[in-house]
Amino acid sequence: MKTVEKVVNPVRRAGEQSPGKIYNEKLKVRARREWRGVRDTFYDYTRWLYLMSVLGRFIVVPRNIKGFFRYRWMMSYLFVPHGMDKFTIGLRDEALRIAHTSFNFVIADVTQAIANCFRGDRRVGNDKAYSDKCVITDENSMVTFMMGFDTDKVHTILREVPTMFASNIFHQFNVMHYLDIAQQYGIPGDVCPMPEAEAGISIEDDFCVLGCCAVQNNTTCDGSLMGNGIIAKRLEREYGLPTFQLATPLRHKEPDVLDYAAREIKEAIAFVEKHTGEKWDWDVYFTAAKRVNDATRCRIAQMEINSTPYPQFFGAAFSLYNDTNYMGNSGRNADFVAKDHKLLALAQKGYEAKRMYAREYRHRCIVWGVQPQYCIDMLYWMVQCWGVMPLTDMLSVINTEMIAEVDTPENREQAYRDMAMLNMEMIMRNHTHGGYKVLVDELWELCEQMNADMVMMWEHMSCKALTGMHGQFEEQARARGIHIMWVSHDLCDPRVFTRQAIRDQVNSYMRTVLREEPLDPSLEIIPDNEAY
Amino acid sequence: MRDLKHLIYFENLLQEANHALIAQARADGKVCVAYTCENVPEPLLNLDRACSIRLTAPHTGSIDIATYYMTNLLCEPSRALLERAIEGGYSFADCVITPDGCTMMNRAVENMELLQTMGKDKPGFFHEYMEIAFKNTESDVALSVLQCTNHILTPLHDNYGIDISDAAIRKAVADHNRICELIRAIGDFRKEEKPRITGYEFHVLCLATYVCPQYLILDKLEETLEELKTREPDDKAYRARVLLVGSEVDDSGLVKLIEEQGAFVCCDRFCFGSYPGRVPIVLNDGEDALTQVCRHYIRNCQCPRMMNQEKVYGRKQYVAELAREYKADGIIYQQVKFCDPWAYERTLGAAMLQNDYGYPVLSVDRPYNVASSSGQMRTRVQAFVESIEIKKIQRGGKHEDR
Repeated sequence: MKTVEKVVNPVRRAGEQSPGKIYNEKLKVRARREWRGVRDTFYDYTRWLYLMSVLGRFIVVPRNIKGFFRYRWMMSYLFVPHGMDKFTIGLRDEALRIAHTSFNFVIADVTQAIANCFRGDRRVGNDKAYSDKCVITDENSMVTFMMGFDTDKVHTILREVPTMFASNIFHQFNVMHYLDIAQQYGIPGDVCPMPEAEAGISIEDDFCVLGCCAVQNNTTCDGSLMGNGIIAKRLEREYGLPTFQLATPLRHKEPDVLDYAAREIKEAIAFVEKHTGEKWDWDVYFTAAKRVNDATRCRIAQMEINSTPYPQFFGAAFSLYNDTNYMGNSGRNADFVAKDHKLLALAQKGYEAKRMYAREYRHRCIVWGVQPQYCIDMLYWMVQCWGVMPLTDMLSVINTEMIAEVDTPENREQAYRDMAMLNMEMIMRNHTHGGYKVLVDELWELCEQMNADMVMMWEHMSCKALTGMHGQFEEQARARGIHIMWVSHDLCDPRVFTRQAIRDQVNSYMRTVLREEPLDPSLEIIPDNEAY
Repeated sequence: MRDLKHLIYFENLLQEANHALIAQARADGKVCVAYTCENVPEPLLNLDRACSIRLTAPHTGSIDIATYYMTNLLCEPSRALLERAIEGGYSFADCVITPDGCTMMNRAVENMELLQTMGKDKPGFFHEYMEIAFKNTESDVALSVLQCTNHILTPLHDNYGIDISDAAIRKAVADHNRICELIRAIGDFRKEEKPRITGYEFHVLCLATYVCPQYLILDKLEETLEELKTREPDDKAYRARVLLVGSEVDDSGLVKLIEEQGAFVCCDRFCFGSYPGRVPIVLNDGEDALTQVCRHYIRNCQCPRMMNQEKVYGRKQYVAELAREYKADGIIYQQVKFCDPWAYERTLGAAMLQNDYGYPVLSVDRPYNVASSSGQMRTRVQAFVESIEIKKIQRGGKHEDR
């Protein structure tokens, strides 16, 4: 089997081996804050206060209070501070600052998104003029088709971000209700819970009613494609929102689908123009394209740092920041540029100082598959408990190609192809669809590139695209001498696999297959199954 | 009713994936084009010396090896096909063409490719994967034309020298239409008040047209049609006429089981059924045949993965129209367990057909091989038939026109 050199931290970090002690099974939140030494604990606390100020500014608006009591998924709002702590477990120095810089920004962005939803919501804010300039996109959508619309004039509402993603991250039980609703309606329990939950929200009529039109997408899988019908029934037939289905080819590596995908993007843009009354602006588009390229360069640089013995930006914060920036933003928000560079500067500083975030790194691990939303701190736990360093996850392995960023007649035509390419290669589907090569072969290439000796395979039990290659992963990993550690879960339903059931799969593998002892035994069993 | 002369012959053909007619076709010098999805335009697989064979896995028992490769979370048809391929059951295939239609079937074929289950001794053997249209626009027709050219016509021509000219396509369409016309004519007898063909018999005949080289069964289908014209129907009333909708039904035992409960399967609207798979293709001389074939498949496609609203609601309308045409008393929406597309389609379809169109609907999932859970299915169907029957009695025994 392939082995990598163990990297030992020469510096003893303040508060090491304490994280396991801050959990208390009688509480739904942690018993106390993590001790990280004076400097880092103080920094962490000030960031926590900043977060409270973001949340406070949100809730003082009367319509947001009304929305809070109207929508069930808003319950997660109460648990954001606790949720943020999941992204910083065991972190110190630059990594702590990276996690706060990236994720506090994401939280502020999502808070603003929710505020926007309530502003236009016919039931809550009922700002019709605002609502008439909103375009609803659904389920994990990539918003490249909005890159050429001025964000001050046309607003993009990603309806799944507050209802499913954020909601489940901050409160593990928050999505279960919508799954139950969907299954009560007749959808089987074996489909992917992500689109199923979103369908459940539509069935229960528990999303804000706003917008002048909606754009749906066949994003990640058959379930995601099929959920559109139920959601569109609510949007179009009951709310009267014209709904466009943006078809995105699955075999995205084949050149013979690109023209079709580009035509679909053109159609989507024309649809948005028609319903918002706003025109596509090429200046706006190419400015956004420059930002997309800039973000791509920063992401590549971060991956390069992670391929060294001293990774800096990793875990859930890396994944969710990339997700937000690549898909939800797609170059439209200028604020991301400064954040990208700040994050890169922090990572470079940490790398130069050879900062480590555990006592030792025993294994270099690629995390493949789709992570469970309700166990978002898993990767931090893995490095703290077992010294398994997650170099990158599948969702962060996205486009590395530059798109046209100079406004010329040729590039305007190329732009549709670029948007189509990005749209086809959106997060998750760029690996789970498009043939086995992007799922299986690219994993082994990445292992080589990042010098990984281990793959942690999230086996999301309803992700048929991934589990359909189970045997191939097994056999090919064996042939290459890569340790492959299967960890099953059900994405956003903790009733199927609890958090500890998920961690126990790692515990078992590390103890029985690798015959290793944990770096921090206090973390092996954490009483957080009932915690938010 | 008197037994159909060729029924046992056709039933026997369905007992094996690699049956006698495939051997005969190979002996005739045919190129066997294996495929797995009804969205692949069938006439293009029957050009010149090529003949289409749809992959099925009759009498599926253990699927343990396939389950190792794909886990028990994927639909049984995809695992059954992979298992059969690993066992060597599709050694006849000269190529496999499959769309990235549903993920699970796509993964099954990819596993077949990676495990080299076929074609080791065939230099021209190839696997091709196609993108399938999502909507019914002209843009989708253009996509389909390009995909068929790149992934069906060109490889067939380059690897096996198959004639892919416009004339060859037109001939294949004419042959295809003859099969469609026969199946439709046979199926039309199901509209009769006292039908002279059972749903089970029709299913056997229809399924045979997908899994057999069509040119080898044409004469027997023609003979069966003639036989039916004079066949005396049983003088018995069925308890309920039902329309069967959903994912592929490769096990005729399902239709038999439904009919054993006193129902009559008056129409079929499932993958590889007669609707829309056996609707003839009308060609004109003003446009190339390939484009017209692709347009036919896209316009007529009833696959749940077609995602634009016209198609989403059109599918329910289509089922309602069939139910009306075939005088169905109720509709059975069925889905092979773990099939994502039909899981959603069944849910929305069942709700809309019941609430918007007023049909009683049984919505049920099932295994690929129905025999493995016939008791459960029997109970569900019995209850459904009884509920329809009670409603009928309440109406004075009359069929309800909707």
